[in-house]
Amino acid sequence: MTSWLRRHDLNPANAMVLIFLWAFFIVFMLYPLGYVFSNAFFTAEGFSLVFMKLMFSSPNNTIILANSVNLGLAVTLFTTLLSLPLALLLVRYNFPGKGLMNGLILIPMVLPPFVGAIGMRQLLARFGSINLLLLEMGVISQPIDWLGGGSFWGVVILEALHLYPIMYLNLAAALANVDPSLEEAAKNMGANSLKLFRTVTFPLMLPGYFAGAIIVFIWAFTDLGTPLVFEYREVVAVQIFNMVTDLHQNPMGYAFVVAVIVLTLFFFYLSKRILGGGRYEMLGRGHVASAMRPASPSMTVIAYAVVLGISALALIPHLGVLLTSVTKRWFLSVLPSEYTFQFYKDVFSHDLTLLSIKNSLFLSSLSTIIDVVLGVTIAYLLARKRVPGRAVLDALAMLPLALPGLVLAFGYVAAFSATPLDARVNPIPLLVIAYAVRRLPYMVRAAYAGFQQTSVVLEEAAINLGASPMKTLYQITMPLIFANLIAGAVLSFSFAMLEVSDSLILASKEQYYPITKAIYALLGRLADGPYIASAMGILGLLLLAGSLFIAGRFFGRRMGELFRA
Amino acid sequence: MVSVKFESVSKMLGQSRAVDNLTLDIGAEELFFLLGPSGCGKTTALRLVAGFYTPDNGQILFNGQDQSPVPPHKRNTGMVFQNYALWPHMDVQNNVAYGLKMRRVSEAEKEKRVRHALEIVHMQAYAGRMPNQLSGGQQQRVALARALVIEPDVVLLDEPLSNLDAKLRVEMRTQIKDIHRKIGRTMIYVTHDQAEALSMADRIAVMRRGRLVQVGTPHELYTRPESAFVAAFIGGTNLLRGTLEEVGDLITIKTQAGMVRAKNGAKGLKRGEPVFCSVRPEAVRLRPGGESSGRPESDSTNELIGEVQSMMYLGDNEQYSIRLADSAVVRAVEYNPPTRKTNVGDRLALQFDAQAVVVLPQEELGD
Repeated sequence: MTSWLRRHDLNPANAMVLIFLWAFFIVFMLYPLGYVFSNAFFTAEGFSLVFMKLMFSSPNNTIILANSVNLGLAVTLFTTLLSLPLALLLVRYNFPGKGLMNGLILIPMVLPPFVGAIGMRQLLARFGSINLLLLEMGVISQPIDWLGGGSFWGVVILEALHLYPIMYLNLAAALANVDPSLEEAAKNMGANSLKLFRTVTFPLMLPGYFAGAIIVFIWAFTDLGTPLVFEYREVVAVQIFNMVTDLHQNPMGYAFVVAVIVLTLFFFYLSKRILGGGRYEMLGRGHVASAMRPASPSMTVIAYAVVLGISALALIPHLGVLLTSVTKRWFLSVLPSEYTFQFYKDVFSHDLTLLSIKNSLFLSSLSTIIDVVLGVTIAYLLARKRVPGRAVLDALAMLPLALPGLVLAFGYVAAFSATPLDARVNPIPLLVIAYAVRRLPYMVRAAYAGFQQTSVVLEEAAINLGASPMKTLYQITMPLIFANLIAGAVLSFSFAMLEVSDSLILASKEQYYPITKAIYALLGRLADGPYIASAMGILGLLLLAGSLFIAGRFFGRRMGELFRA
Repeated sequence: MVSVKFESVSKMLGQSRAVDNLTLDIGAEELFFLLGPSGCGKTTALRLVAGFYTPDNGQILFNGQDQSPVPPHKRNTGMVFQNYALWPHMDVQNNVAYGLKMRRVSEAEKEKRVRHALEIVHMQAYAGRMPNQLSGGQQQRVALARALVIEPDVVLLDEPLSNLDAKLRVEMRTQIKDIHRKIGRTMIYVTHDQAEALSMADRIAVMRRGRLVQVGTPHELYTRPESAFVAAFIGGTNLLRGTLEEVGDLITIKTQAGMVRAKNGAKGLKRGEPVFCSVRPEAVRLRPGGESSGRPESDSTNELIGEVQSMMYLGDNEQYSIRLADSAVVRAVEYNPPTRKTNVGDRLALQFDAQAVVVLPQEELGD
């Protein structure tokens, strides 16, 4: 017992904090998940696989599951194809304007794809801009049904165009991390460029690649907003969304959520498994030359063409949203025939939109405060203290990365119904907590990186001179990791502002709608609905763009580390 | 002033016994050195005094007061860290003033003391600089000022000079010694550099594998080492293997290169035991002519015959490696080297006084 105590830094204060953290995770993560599982496997008569059987025996349900998995895989594949050339060009070559190109690549992240879907619908409709343009140019004689075939590809394209920056950040970090001397060794042995990439560079990048791939996969697999807007209803996310309303009559919702969790875990496990043994320790960086080389003029042209081409493609939905938001008349023409800023005014005068902006600001601020407090505490314990159950605490704090918002929100609605936290009475507490839990890993990582970069000796020096541990934390450690905290907090805040699945599922009454749910509600309204929704989307876009810019300034090149599993 | 006492202190770090049953008495106002190879537990011992570690067993006492219940920030020790640990977000002045702020020293008093501390280390001109605008030596001085300004009961220095270049290091030795004399506070200084310890210390504790090997003044350690480890670690020595023949006023040892007489050591050793004869290189005199006279000048002088293996001329001295008959190699130093030419392969007679030989039990060396 004494040796156990001695191995850990346990004092009453640490113990209290630990107990609080455990309680938080148990109540707001493990309990809702457990609740979902028990409802999926236990009927009034006890343990039963009847719902599971029902799900896998109904061809309808298996198709839905397959659609979602295919969606996830297709999006992962497309993002890989888009971002691999980008990473190779930008990490390995130096050319004028590279910083700008780097920024350009990240832009698509700033629009929730379901808002982009609104713009896409305008452009790709039967008599939308693209078809009209092609008709005018005489390329086609009949309008093409772009969004036909169940809209599967529409969803894939939109999600891929939204998510490839995350893949890019991971691939770029992985590539930059490959020790150039390992590649030089391969060249020295006679490998040509292609062989070199295939046999040395890419295998060494794999851990980073899978870290990005799993995030992209889970995101696409459980994305709710995009399929909803495209009315592609045969996916798990939409099914679960629909079942929230009658979850007490129809237990199939639980079964679907369990299926999502199991599949998520399976792919997570698979990606870790493929890493085999884990990450490679790169050799010490003695005097290795940088692998960065100046691009030849032709290479520069290629780099610009690739970046600009992909970015142009990725910005089409944004352009569509932007045009929609300023359209006064747009009927059977490539571009709107009359423009107006009326809808932006509407955003700030319309009851629903104005209230939703207030709600979102309030909810996101609260959740960010929770994230900062919890994130810094957890990161501090992980980085500086030997506490019992350290590995479990680490795993719990990172779990939300692999935990789809959909699952969490569903679990909250189910587990806390008929309690003081019932989302159908007042969703505010659960919305705040859901936002906070979902963004907690970013905050923990940001703070943890800060603690890691800050030598413990700096803290010891302060304690040695008479500063209490608390004072040391506030006067020495906090100022030194301030940049990381700001970056983490800004990201937490802006992602909370534009959180989709939690908001759609949890916000039950109009008076509590956050921005994203208001946009979704507006889309359903005829007349000016989509236009005001677009205007709101553009405002959200600006907010997120600004936040990412700020976070990037504080975080520098290591921002990719936040978006990894 | 404060005396520091280690009483049977042990500390495990992970699986290794970093400090093993250490008992030490450090007097008030002493400049005390903890010396040993890396990994010997000296830094752990220092951190135990600072309170960053608590002993698994035993006690650390300041003036007889057990310090276990005192948290590190209440111990009033001023520590100088190996990499200085200056806070990068504060300028020099604020770094130095930090400990005074913690002690709620009045603004005027604080300013005066910071200025004074910076004067002591000759850094008053740099008060407004940020740490990253300072050279290594300057950072080192600021770290020293920061530790001294709080007028600590004990000053703790953890290899404070190890990151400086050779010339600066020698300079700082004198400065730190001066400061110690001026402020008259207990200082515990950790280093692996025996020259630093010899040149500065009042007393030195040599540590090895977490244990205390020997404590004494530099002179005691150098002239009366109690183990081959101390003899070899401090100043460098020749260790001739032999067997103890006779114990008494004059000790005789049989080595393969011949008989050696000694007047020191052999404490607790019995006849027939394998021993080391420690002879300092500078105690060896070289005589030309390779033939042993068979009978040295007197009873208290030794003479061995060897062949020059290599030489190194260093200006003020010349260092020789000489191979003896049993193929053991002896190092010898001649100060003010004579102009006569010695060549590799020459046979020489090595003479050294019995007074210069210390007989020590054989042990394996290395860390």
